[in-house]
Amino acid sequence: MPEKPIKGEKRYFMTGNEVVAYAAVMANAEIMYGYPITPQNEIMHYWTRMAPKYGKEFLQTEDELSAGFTTVGGVLAGRRAFTATAGPGNTLMQEPISMAEAMRLPIVVVVQQRGGPSTATVIYSQQEVTLTTIGGNGEGFRIVYSTASHQELFDYTIKAFNTAWKYRFPTFVLGDGYQAKMRESLTMYDPEERGQKMIPTEAYVGKPGVPGIDRPPGQYRNTYNVEEEIYEVVQQYTREFNAISPEVAEYESFGTEDADLVVVSHGVVFRAVKEAVKELREAGVKVGYFRPITLRPLAEKELKEMAGRAKALLMAESANGQLARLVKDAIYGATAEIHTLYKPGMGISAEDVAVRIRSILG
Amino acid sequence: MAKAVKIVLAGEGGQGVQSVAEIIAEAANEEGREALYIPNFGVEQRGGVSVAFLQIGDEHIGSPKFNTANIVVALSERAVRRTKQYVGSDTVFVYDSGLEGIEDDIPANARKVLAIPALQVASDELTPRVFNIIIMGAVVKATAVVTEDRAKDAIEKKLGYKFEKNPKLRDLNYKAIDRGAELVAALL
Repeated sequence: MPEKPIKGEKRYFMTGNEVVAYAAVMANAEIMYGYPITPQNEIMHYWTRMAPKYGKEFLQTEDELSAGFTTVGGVLAGRRAFTATAGPGNTLMQEPISMAEAMRLPIVVVVQQRGGPSTATVIYSQQEVTLTTIGGNGEGFRIVYSTASHQELFDYTIKAFNTAWKYRFPTFVLGDGYQAKMRESLTMYDPEERGQKMIPTEAYVGKPGVPGIDRPPGQYRNTYNVEEEIYEVVQQYTREFNAISPEVAEYESFGTEDADLVVVSHGVVFRAVKEAVKELREAGVKVGYFRPITLRPLAEKELKEMAGRAKALLMAESANGQLARLVKDAIYGATAEIHTLYKPGMGISAEDVAVRIRSILG
Repeated sequence: MAKAVKIVLAGEGGQGVQSVAEIIAEAANEEGREALYIPNFGVEQRGGVSVAFLQIGDEHIGSPKFNTANIVVALSERAVRRTKQYVGSDTVFVYDSGLEGIEDDIPANARKVLAIPALQVASDELTPRVFNIIIMGAVVKATAVVTEDRAKDAIEKKLGYKFEKNPKLRDLNYKAIDRGAELVAALL
């Protein structure tokens, strides 16, 4: 067994893409499939740099469709497999991701959001929320973690593999170009040294024995003949997804009990929100925040409770309301007034958030 | 707890502003401080203005980009025009005194405007190649985000392999740090 690159716990200072590559190695991922696209390229670069030393494999495909389908193939063969993409690559990858949803395959996909629509910018956005949570021709049977720091990129990339293999739904780590390219400190570790066991993988196909005699046949389908069949399957998946949602959903909140205004945000924008809210609280302003960590499933119960108490909400995101659409659906019926701070394709600073809060509260 | 110091460094591609930001960030991290460095990365490799955003503090840093910096360093005419937007009433604006045609673009709202002859010092006293290290010395002196010794350690870490082959380079880089610090100290 080749050694791992990290022993014990150690502080590092590096880019987010490098963090993801390390996390995948530390999570015992076996193979990455990928096609280059900025701003996720360095995930591939660092993975391939480490691969020969730690017994890992890499396959560069001809496009993102193939990268997604080969990841599906890797998982069918029982490999802890992942891919990474962004922007137009994420669009192309929806087809194989839909197949993974249909066949309940635990693929792991890291998305570093860039500006959209189309090629747009290679820099940054939060405009891939809709695509990542409910993209594809289906019902969004996916789990999506939206990270806000390098520590979370490391923690949640590791966690994503276990979530995927435990529940058998495609699982995403949703970052962005800022997180991909910025450098900050984090502590990396070997999850197994912390008692965090990696869930064993198993092959879907190519198992020993005669199907139907020595073992149940494996029937992994993405094609159906009659309406009743697909209806039953989707109903079954929906029940299972809804059943696991409360234990999968994660969020963090602050000051929502007595806040006049609660700021709802996710990902890197949450950093700005946290900074602004903390500062305004110290100045005596009654503000709070609610940050979904999983964008799918959302912490619906907690969101609804919060929105039922708050007088007003401020939705802050680097998109034109993609998170807000998900949240509004979850809090339907709540009477809190909804304000917005949307900067599609642009960063949001703590100053921007503070100015907006003050303009709302007067 | 004091707020993080916010720094914007801007210049032409190849002037080394990204390396300077990265070295300072790593020096701060080595000191156990919190640092966050993000380059702008668009089409700069193909001839735009290169901007580095750097924040150093004692707590986990908030948003990676910001509206107003504590110090803005602009090393080319275009960089002056590009970075005006990050200047506020609390900002120290530093530019190279050799730049031409920017008189009308120097931000009038800055707390302080410092023109330093870094390009000239680099070519007259040292070598143009250490121009960015002079700038690094100036930034470190003006912000005190790390000590000058720590900045030198960080350079050693980054370029040590080159210094092994040519020890004169080490002296040159250390001198560049000192000269950059002097240029700013005289004006602060």
